Amino acid sequence: MEKPKVATVWLEGCSGCHMSFLDLDEGLADILAAVELTVTPITDFKDYDFPEATLGIIEGAVGNTEQLEILHKLRKKCQVLMAWGDCAVFGGVNTLRNHIPTEALLTRGFIQTESTVDGVLPVHQELPALLPQVLAVNEIVPIEIYVPGCPPSPEAIAHALQEVLQGRIQRMPTGILHFD
Amino acid sequence: MDAIANISLKIDGIEVMVPDGLTILEAARQNGIHIPTLCHHPALSAWGGCRLCVVEVDGAPRLVAGCVTPVRKGMDVITSNDRIIEARRTILEFLFAERNHYCMFCAVSGDCELQDLAYEYQMDHLTVPPLQQEFPVDTSHDDMVMDHNRCVLCGRCVRACRELVGDSVLDFQNRGGQSLITVDVFGQLGGSTCVSCGACLQVCPTGAIFDRYRTHYAVKGKSKDWVSKESYCPQCGLLCPTVSVVRRNSLLRIEGQMPGREPDRGQLCHKGRFDPVKTTGPRLTEPLVRGDDGTWQKSTWAAALDRIAGGLEDIRKNNGPQALFGLISSCCSNEELTRFQQFITTCWPEGYLDTLDGRHFRTLLGAGSLIPEVPWATMLEADFILQVGVISSQSHPIITSLTRRAILENKTKVAVIGPENPIGPWASFHLPASHEELLLTVNAICIKINPDLATDPAKGTLSHVGTKGFADFIKLIEDSEKALIIIGEALTEIGDSAVIKRLVDLAQFKSHGASQAPRLIILKPAGNSAAAWSLGVAARQSVRNQLKGGLICATGEDGWDPVLIGTPGNLDFLAVLTPYFSETLARQASVLLPIPTWMEVDGTYAFADGSGSRFKRRVLTPPPGVGSVEETLTALSGRISMNPGQPD
Repeated sequence: MEKPKVATVWLEGCSGCHMSFLDLDEGLADILAAVELTVTPITDFKDYDFPEATLGIIEGAVGNTEQLEILHKLRKKCQVLMAWGDCAVFGGVNTLRNHIPTEALLTRGFIQTESTVDGVLPVHQELPALLPQVLAVNEIVPIEIYVPGCPPSPEAIAHALQEVLQGRIQRMPTGILHFD
Repeated sequence: MDAIANISLKIDGIEVMVPDGLTILEAARQNGIHIPTLCHHPALSAWGGCRLCVVEVDGAPRLVAGCVTPVRKGMDVITSNDRIIEARRTILEFLFAERNHYCMFCAVSGDCELQDLAYEYQMDHLTVPPLQQEFPVDTSHDDMVMDHNRCVLCGRCVRACRELVGDSVLDFQNRGGQSLITVDVFGQLGGSTCVSCGACLQVCPTGAIFDRYRTHYAVKGKSKDWVSKESYCPQCGLLCPTVSVVRRNSLLRIEGQMPGREPDRGQLCHKGRFDPVKTTGPRLTEPLVRGDDGTWQKSTWAAALDRIAGGLEDIRKNNGPQALFGLISSCCSNEELTRFQQFITTCWPEGYLDTLDGRHFRTLLGAGSLIPEVPWATMLEADFILQVGVISSQSHPIITSLTRRAILENKTKVAVIGPENPIGPWASFHLPASHEELLLTVNAICIKINPDLATDPAKGTLSHVGTKGFADFIKLIEDSEKALIIIGEALTEIGDSAVIKRLVDLAQFKSHGASQAPRLIILKPAGNSAAAWSLGVAARQSVRNQLKGGLICATGEDGWDPVLIGTPGNLDFLAVLTPYFSETLARQASVLLPIPTWMEVDGTYAFADGSGSRFKRRVLTPPPGVGSVEETLTALSGRISMNPGQPD
């Protein structure tokens, strides 16, 4: 039987969730024996033409147009989507900027910072534009499985993967569920 | 009293018998059945705001809040099924979505009732988008931060402030999702009428109110590493029960034991809750001896004790044993006090023994020995309270709290005489008498009440005597059935025994003669003053001018009396036992010996009203090498008796 294909992407996050995944150590060997990892955050894409996958995993919230495009395209190609970490699940620490208008935010960051000389706003057709608000992924597309945590513990990630690979879609159980 | 009838009902299919009048929540908890709550707190009145305690009654489509619904005979209650779980989880999602409940940057993550509930109900995502509202963060207070973004508007803080503390500083403002907790009227905690007791902080279920101490997880760790230890606060004679939360011998916080069984209802004051977690000053962990060049040098215990024995022995030889003194803080435990007393009377029977607050004792002594008092709990039974010279907002904040509660709950009238009015506008009457005017004022009152009580004719005149307000005030005393007089430390500090004698007589008169104890409470300046005075550690007569050197045992909590240490400015030798290094000591002392703080020793402490005592267990371990006061004194007395120098 063909192994289920898994794609993971990294949106507006810190990579901590993927680090926590790598923290599974020898547990990684079991997971990699059970699945085929087709896409990871270091896969080089020009147009995000993802291959079909059984499971798509998302780390990070959605804060700009590129992340929005990745999320929509991933949703189209995956049977099941799993959100990793507080950013993907709730918006997380990125939502700190939601109280500040985008223009003011960029001006402060790229022009007014104390160490900046002759700063310019990063506005270019090649660059993704910021969305007015950072959103959790389930505010944009339907998500089947949520693994919150900052980062989610390796145990939480392993539990979620084991459950979904056996065809079960459930809430995170008390005891493993963590937000911090 | 009528017996309350038991009624039977079914909870989760189990037949239970409970007293009529209970709520569904109380009935369930009495029978070990779990119903989740958030706005409910066992020390506070029921509120019914959060609806997490919803249960199904008789299969009705509409769920009811268990914390406010009374039980009824034959009721069939279901506390948990799919519908109820879904309702509770939805409530949690709404709470999380309304404000900033991102745990990863919250000071109380891991110690939060909202978070625990979300875990319990497996709320692993939100089905409603977060509102992303921004609210102010109030950082104006020295001890506490109020972050409205973390608030779930459960109102526990509002109820605690009103019901436990009687302060009503907190309330709600605005409406709906824009509702905020308000301090006074649209104010901030800092500079408000808040008494900084932290009751709101203790009952807050989220990170909306948190203290400024040990909040970082690097210091406080996870809750599984914490140990909670029950103890008592010995900083004043009320001996409030406490729970100290400790991690690896580091004190994280102190809380009151709620719900409290005593009239103070489990509250603590700012001293009891915050002072011990603040850094008091550089800790002394090994003996320091002043070198020939005047600088402090670290020393071994043996060398330091030899130096003390030698220094004091020299004074005994040169000036006689009556030039030696021993002074001890009345914050010390009974064990420390008696050991110190024993040390002085054994080593220098002619020496001078006193407590740091001895002058308060001598003022009271001048008004008659053994003035009987009533327990402080009787404050809530009085219909009139006269406070004279009370600065209880500082020394006995709980007394001020009980006074406010008496006003609120029992409509007790309160009159205040003295330079300060700790009750503020709630007092029916305030006579702002200066220290000099106190005797005149009290005399004027006594003459009005019963001319026999004023033995000295009042000298001088007081502007407020004869006014309409004064007449109203006298009428208040005359009309009262259960008048209570509270004498504060401002009065005992002045040293005017005559005023106190007058007040004792007045209390006796208002208590209908000598058959009953006069309704009188005397506030003591230090935590264990009552014991220090009754054990005879405080001197009955002060003889300071001839003193040349001695030993002071101080805890650092009661401060340093500049007169006390300053008057014999030409001391030849001073050794101090103290937990902390202070600049005042550094100027005066020749040797400093470290002792444990009160958090680090077991000890017995007496109630201020003399009604008994409590054994306080230690919650921390002293630093290595720091022995108890008893051990240090034993080691020192061995050296002194081994060197029986002959007086010249």
